[in-house]
Amino acid sequence: MKGPIISGAIILAGMFIFLKFLLPLVTAPLPASLIYLYLALVLSGILIYGTMSASSLEAMMGPVFRFLSGKGQTGASQMARLAVLVMFPLLVGWQTYSRLVPSDLPPAENRTIHPAPPGEFVGLSNPYPKTPENIMMGKGLYAAYCSPCHGANYDGKGPAAPGFNPPPANFSDPGTIAQLQEAYLFWRIKKGGVGLPVEGMPWKSAMPRWEDELPEEFIWKIIMGEYDGAHQTPRTWEEEE
Amino acid sequence: MLNGLGSLRTLSLIGLFGVLGFSSAFANEPPASEEPGSVSVRLYQLEGSLPSEDPNSSQWDSVPSSEFNLAPQVHWPPRIQEVTVKSVKVKGVHNGQEMAILVEYADPAEDAADAAALEFMVGDKPAHFAHGQKMLQVEGGPVNIWYWKNESGKAVDMSAKGFKTLETQPHQDIQAKGVWENGIWKVVFSRLLKTEDDQDVQVEEGEWRSVAFAFWDGAVVDGLVKEKGGQKAVSTWWYIRAEPSADNSIFGWVILGLVLATAFELVIVRKLRKGQAV
Ligand code: HEC
Repeated sequence: MKGPIISGAIILAGMFIFLKFLLPLVTAPLPASLIYLYLALVLSGILIYGTMSASSLEAMMGPVFRFLSGKGQTGASQMARLAVLVMFPLLVGWQTYSRLVPSDLPPAENRTIHPAPPGEFVGLSNPYPKTPENIMMGKGLYAAYCSPCHGANYDGKGPAAPGFNPPPANFSDPGTIAQLQEAYLFWRIKKGGVGLPVEGMPWKSAMPRWEDELPEEFIWKIIMGEYDGAHQTPRTWEEEE
Repeated sequence: MLNGLGSLRTLSLIGLFGVLGFSSAFANEPPASEEPGSVSVRLYQLEGSLPSEDPNSSQWDSVPSSEFNLAPQVHWPPRIQEVTVKSVKVKGVHNGQEMAILVEYADPAEDAADAAALEFMVGDKPAHFAHGQKMLQVEGGPVNIWYWKNESGKAVDMSAKGFKTLETQPHQDIQAKGVWENGIWKVVFSRLLKTEDDQDVQVEEGEWRSVAFAFWDGAVVDGLVKEKGGQKAVSTWWYIRAEPSADNSIFGWVILGLVLATAFELVIVRKLRKGQAV
């Protein structure tokens, strides 16, 4: 028969492997603090189970007590006991230290890249037809106004890009404009970085507020040129439903 | 006496504590930054006087530097598509009273109109890096700009809150000294950590502030100064902090933890040895 300690350890290890490695295969990985909490719950369950009766208590704790008391031990087990007795205070000391030591990392920034647009921009659609002339005009305007940051290849690697944090968006990445509607781009281009809500950290964005310099017609045509040049298509309202 | 199975149990017990110890340690860990390059400037603490007057002082040699990329200012008009200064190395020190910040960058020639500036957010409200320009959904704060120009040989303490609002402060609190040598500018700015002036950034030990950089190559090309005003090399916001003095009370708590844990062990072992019927 396996001792209760070993079965307990197996349950706990199994639970850890499940939470840490198997669960992320089907869903988002759990934060370490949550895994820790679940393991602590399982551990206390095991302890409660093991201490329910006098005999289960003896089966569970007997070996531990005998081991800790050190009575009649020799060789390897004596060394192991010593190691446990030394390790425990060190672990406590280390935990105390790591909890108290002030972090010297800058504040973590959770910038929302695609915050919700203001209501007046929801539902707009591009009033200009997608003719080769309009697309061409849009690409020309893009080259003049946008490429220094977003790059002549629509990849976010313009000559000015390395100096900015957050970096200029990479339109050829399927994670940017392919996820967005034209109306959303219209908002972002018109109002720029300073038009972002607080979760978008507008104070850090170098994206210009183009409404000060470009008429709406130019902006709609740039959007066309941008999608065409980056080989992406906008999300449509139907997909949203 | 323990048999083979007993040692196995012991080992699994140690393993179990190991797992818990590690997962709790990871639970404390802040998320790692994936950004390449520096994200912050550290003002290292020194004893005594700072190398504020001398950018070449050997005191600077042992101070680690941060490095930031710069961009041609293409964010608002008047834009410039190509600039001389591509990146800057920054070092900082403080002594609990004053601070000194050294910027070091390549510029092939010394010109009268060469200039360098540091910008800081002032107060609790976030300010846009471009002169605290107006944001549409967020109420912003002002910025404090320290502007040094080669031909004047000194620095000007300035404030802005929005484009075209840049002005010299009534109360000047900063000094600067620049030295050009072999294609490298070294400019050291200095000030008290804290001032009486609420237009100034106030630097509190251990607290993060935001800083941005700007540089002008004052070379004269075809009778015109190449970079001036909005035409300059810029950065967006990075963090800056005056390193706090070591807090020795932490070690007191660690020692207390060690002592308590050891005492706890002694009590348990003694109890067990007294032949409790376990
Ligand atoms: C000064 C550099 C700069 C210029 C010039 C610039 N941008 Fe940007 N742009 C940025 C930065 C930085 C971001 C990322 C931060 C943000 O979202 O505000 C961005 C973001 C965007 C986004 C949002 C993408 C997304 O995934 O949410 C769009 C759309 C955009 N830019 C379009 C344009 C267009 C069109 C032009 C030209 C008319 C242009 N930009 C010119 C710097 C620039």
